[in-house]
Amino acid sequence: MRIVIDILLAVGFIFALAGAKGLLQMPDAFCRMQASTCISTLGVLGVIAGGALYAFFVMGSVATGVKILLIGLLIITINPIGAHAIAKGAYRSGIRPDKEMEIDDYGRDINE
Amino acid sequence: MPKTKFPAVISTFCLCFVFWLLLTWNFSAQEMIAGAVVSLAAALFASKFFIHEDAFWLFKPAKLGALIMYVFTFLRELVKANVDVAKRVFGGCKDVNPGIVKVPVDLKGDYAQAMLANSITLTPGTITMDIAEQEGRTYYYIHWIDVAETDREKAGELIKGSLEKGIGRIWQ
Amino acid sequence: MMELLVFAAAFAFLAVICLYRLAKGPTPADRMVAGDSMDVLVCCAMILYSLYSGRGIYLDIAIICALFGIVDTMLVGRYLGGGKGLHK
Repeated sequence: MRIVIDILLAVGFIFALAGAKGLLQMPDAFCRMQASTCISTLGVLGVIAGGALYAFFVMGSVATGVKILLIGLLIITINPIGAHAIAKGAYRSGIRPDKEMEIDDYGRDINE
Repeated sequence: MPKTKFPAVISTFCLCFVFWLLLTWNFSAQEMIAGAVVSLAAALFASKFFIHEDAFWLFKPAKLGALIMYVFTFLRELVKANVDVAKRVFGGCKDVNPGIVKVPVDLKGDYAQAMLANSITLTPGTITMDIAEQEGRTYYYIHWIDVAETDREKAGELIKGSLEKGIGRIWQ
Repeated sequence: MMELLVFAAAFAFLAVICLYRLAKGPTPADRMVAGDSMDVLVCCAMILYSLYSGRGIYLDIAIICALFGIVDTMLVGRYLGGGKGLHK
């Protein structure tokens, strides 16, 4: 069981590392948002799954496990709303990528 | 502002009470009465913002089954997209080709559209930026990290193909 | 179990990495994205540390951290966007 927990935590850490690396190195603001979504999906899911298994089977405490699962549900359902608000706000406040985008329907429609 | 309806209050109350029980995990009478009072207050205040259509939607077995099926579909898409973005990041962040596409959506109803928009945002690589209605059709503006297809219909099929089918099965 | 502490420290380290983008980011959107990610990472680290030390109080703090992290993101997002609807 401990090996399974370790593997889950390691998978979560790898995706969180990918998100953090993308956050530092991606070329423009919108691509950084895309990379940071990696953290809040599989990074969190790995930690939640590993932590819940640890709480259920090693600690033997059902209350802790259920609470961890609830935290995971909250983060997964709430986080896209924040990402959506930031993306829309950033585009409307005039932030554009350095390189020209290949196809930009929003910029075309917003200027009409 | 819509009027508060009785079934909406009841279903919101059930949801809040289940949340209370799961968070405290303490089944003594005192805790449960306190939880009931707090959930009732929250339900009276929040139900008119929360539920506009069928209040007892979640209690139908067929819909619940479709929701559980959708979770698995969504997890598969999520893992696929995550691996894709992680590959791009570890490959040096040069392999990106961002763009914003306008994609038509066939789903009806506020809940279904909100759920599809959140699912698209949650998959790495795509973010829903805005929703517009033109000539009776709904369009999403989606920021896409790698524009593989410039035709709008085909791009929509690539981005949300299986997700839209799953959600359509839940909210038909 | 020692791995929990190691992974908690690793997640906290990732949060510190995000701090760099928070300090440097050329646009407000960059700073907010970095803040949002830090929030989630700190929440993960808190869950793991709570399991390691066996104290339940950290889980409650993690819930509050996850909930209030969204409020400020929403606030800044709405402020940046201004107005409502596509065609003002």
